Amino acid sequence: MRQDDSDAELVQRVLGGDDGAFAGLVARHRDRGIRFAMAMLGDAADAEEALQDAFVRAYRGLRGCREPGRFGVWFLRILVNRCRTRGARRRTGAMFVHDEAALERAAAPRGDDPEWREEIERALTRLDALQREAFLLKHLEGLDYEEMARLTGARIPALKMRVKRACDHLRVLLREVDDVRAE
Amino acid sequence: MSEPSDDPLIARVAGELRRPVPISPDFDARVMALVRRAPPGRAVRAWEWLREPRTLAVSPLGGLAMAAGVAGLVLAGMWSRQPSPVSRQPSAVSASAGAQAPVTFVFLAPDARSVALAGDFDGWDPARLPMQREGSGLWTVDVPLAPGRYQYAFVVDGRRFIADPSAPRATGDDFGTPTSVVTVGGAARAAGGSL
Repeated sequence: MRQDDSDAELVQRVLGGDDGAFAGLVARHRDRGIRFAMAMLGDAADAEEALQDAFVRAYRGLRGCREPGRFGVWFLRILVNRCRTRGARRRTGAMFVHDEAALERAAAPRGDDPEWREEIERALTRLDALQREAFLLKHLEGLDYEEMARLTGARIPALKMRVKRACDHLRVLLREVDDVRAE
Repeated sequence: MSEPSDDPLIARVAGELRRPVPISPDFDARVMALVRRAPPGRAVRAWEWLREPRTLAVSPLGGLAMAAGVAGLVLAGMWSRQPSPVSRQPSAVSASAGAQAPVTFVFLAPDARSVALAGDFDGWDPARLPMQREGSGLWTVDVPLAPGRYQYAFVVDGRRFIADPSAPRATGDDFGTPTSVVTVGGAARAAGGSL
């Protein structure tokens, strides 16, 4: 990938038959994708598989990306759907994780305050899935409500309510943690 | 695009979540191995070629032969219908107990002249499972495996046995050879690393 290749140029190159250009899109959107998937699913192996699945689907459906310059938002929509599917599957049946390397990565502390990070991840898992998704799109991805509505298909008032409830719930869960840590 | 939260607690949560999350070093190679199995370019180009308007002059006898050919293609397509190669990705394929499921082994070795897979599933014979070179020095091979635990290694240029850097190491490597372990459970896996 040339450093100055834009998403639009990479998409056009892939559609023109240069499959290798897709590696540029993967490299550019991988880190943001794994961050969202990990926050959404709370499991490193699940997050990687959802992200991998999303990239493969994006590649196969690339012609449906009508605004190649906005590949990132289009890809995020696919990833959101893959996370929904994977999250639903996890709720209805036991997941079988046998990737020991992924388990080690999941257990590895991240950031300056791994305990705080763990508490956040734990609190996120206690949110309703749609509230968690809306919260992450708003506060992690920084989307506005119009963009979130286009991406999720939900109406703006419903999305605002989901974000508000997620924030309220997180405040309760994490202030308890803060209080305990302050003692 | 991002508007900071007014609530300091929510802002702290968002800040923590924006930290980088570790990902497998071979993630990109795995994705590219999967997408190269079902390049949309060819399919799209074929579809666009079919959609292009064109005039054909066909004799009655030729028309009959074409109709028979189209019917044959449709029947052949129904007969040979199988999951698409991409659907073999780990998250999409499940194998019932005892059934074999394809496992894709991926190894990045741009300078290798040949790479083969050897493991306890093929009698450790590198001649039986040569890997195919794809773009950028990526070598892949699909192996149907029944659920179970297998040891394997990549054989580079016919002589060097190399354990898969992205997979767990086997304890008590056979014959002192570095080997890796893949566990095939209810779902097929992609295994792979780089040299």
